[in-house]
Amino acid sequence: MDIIVRKIILEVKKGNQQAFAELMDLYKDKVYHIAYRMLGNVHEAQDVSQEAFLRAYTNIDSYDMNRKFSTWLFRIATNLAIDRIRKKKPDFHLEDQVAGTEDLTYYTQISADEELPEDQVVQLEMQEWIQQEVMQLPPKYRSAIILKYLQDLSLKEISEILNLPVATVKTRIHRGREALRKRLRNS
Amino acid sequence: MACSKENKAFIHKYLDEELTLLEKKQFENHILTCGDCYEHLRELRKTVAIIQSTSHIEAPSSLTANVMKQLPKQSKSNKWKFWMKKHPFMITAATFFFVFIVSVASALSGENEEIVVQGDGQFIVDKERNVVVIPEGESISGDLLIRNGNIEISGEVLGDITVINGEHVMASTDQVSGDINEINQTMELIWYEMKSFFSDVVDLSDNESNAENQKED
Repeated sequence: MDIIVRKIILEVKKGNQQAFAELMDLYKDKVYHIAYRMLGNVHEAQDVSQEAFLRAYTNIDSYDMNRKFSTWLFRIATNLAIDRIRKKKPDFHLEDQVAGTEDLTYYTQISADEELPEDQVVQLEMQEWIQQEVMQLPPKYRSAIILKYLQDLSLKEISEILNLPVATVKTRIHRGREALRKRLRNS
Repeated sequence: MACSKENKAFIHKYLDEELTLLEKKQFENHILTCGDCYEHLRELRKTVAIIQSTSHIEAPSSLTANVMKQLPKQSKSNKWKFWMKKHPFMITAATFFFVFIVSVASALSGENEEIVVQGDGQFIVDKERNVVVIPEGESISGDLLIRNGNIEISGEVLGDITVINGEHVMASTDQVSGDINEINQTMELIWYEMKSFFSDVVDLSDNESNAENQKED
């Protein structure tokens, strides 16, 4: 995997745009997932993911080949997502109607693995609920929790992505976890 | 009833598996007796399990295309470079075509632009005027090919005349029994070369079929 990624990145550094498309196919789901969990909205998640990849492309020369590419890429994506949250206008929710449609909510636009209809409903309600709870977390805890529990990254990687000392990352995970626990208990 | 702060801190360390063996033992003993800490730990474990149960979502399929559209335009030479890498056959074809054109061009221009005549019979080559003259009363029995010069026909030619890079002048049309071809353009020459090549091939196959017919006879 790493060797393939290295090869592709070398091509991208030479200016091969086709290689960049291959690179995107490897990472787009993860980047989109982070962005979606951070922002809780498909449109903004797509926006931020696209922007993250564009920046990755234009700054590929500053990427250090000795480090993990995903760490570098996720750092760009989380920074953009955090910026977006800071500038964010009034909140908007997944169950809001999509403009110009009768009964489409933003939920219907999230692609998920196929399941039986009843399972899907239960699963969807559960997912909706978790996402809402995550969205209630302050962004700095939210990013730590997402990277730790949704992307399964090590504390060291998270500390590199967020550009924070490992101890701070730990504290944020503890506090995020604690805040979620209280919310889940009360619900 | 809330437990001590130290024990609460232990709960998180315990979850992250950061306690020493001794601390771990002590903490496990503690939660056996402290319902508050036990409940706290249970809830945290449940929280983590719920968070981890979220399904992985896929990026919209349009994402890659959207980004690719917005990438800065590649410089032309770069585009060519990667295009060529992908289509080596086209390069071979282009190289072959280039060599072909060069050879045709050199054949057209001839060596030192000297007049060249192929054919049997009596004719006069006027090198100063670059003209081949067939005098009155003379007759050429076969085909005639002139390169880099003109031809003046006063006598008689029984075969075809081909003039490359030149023109023909004659007293009357009766004097030539075959066709007269003038070739002055590169494309015309290519056409001519191809035509003669194919007519050769056709001739050959005709001969072969003739030979076969004769065998059958």
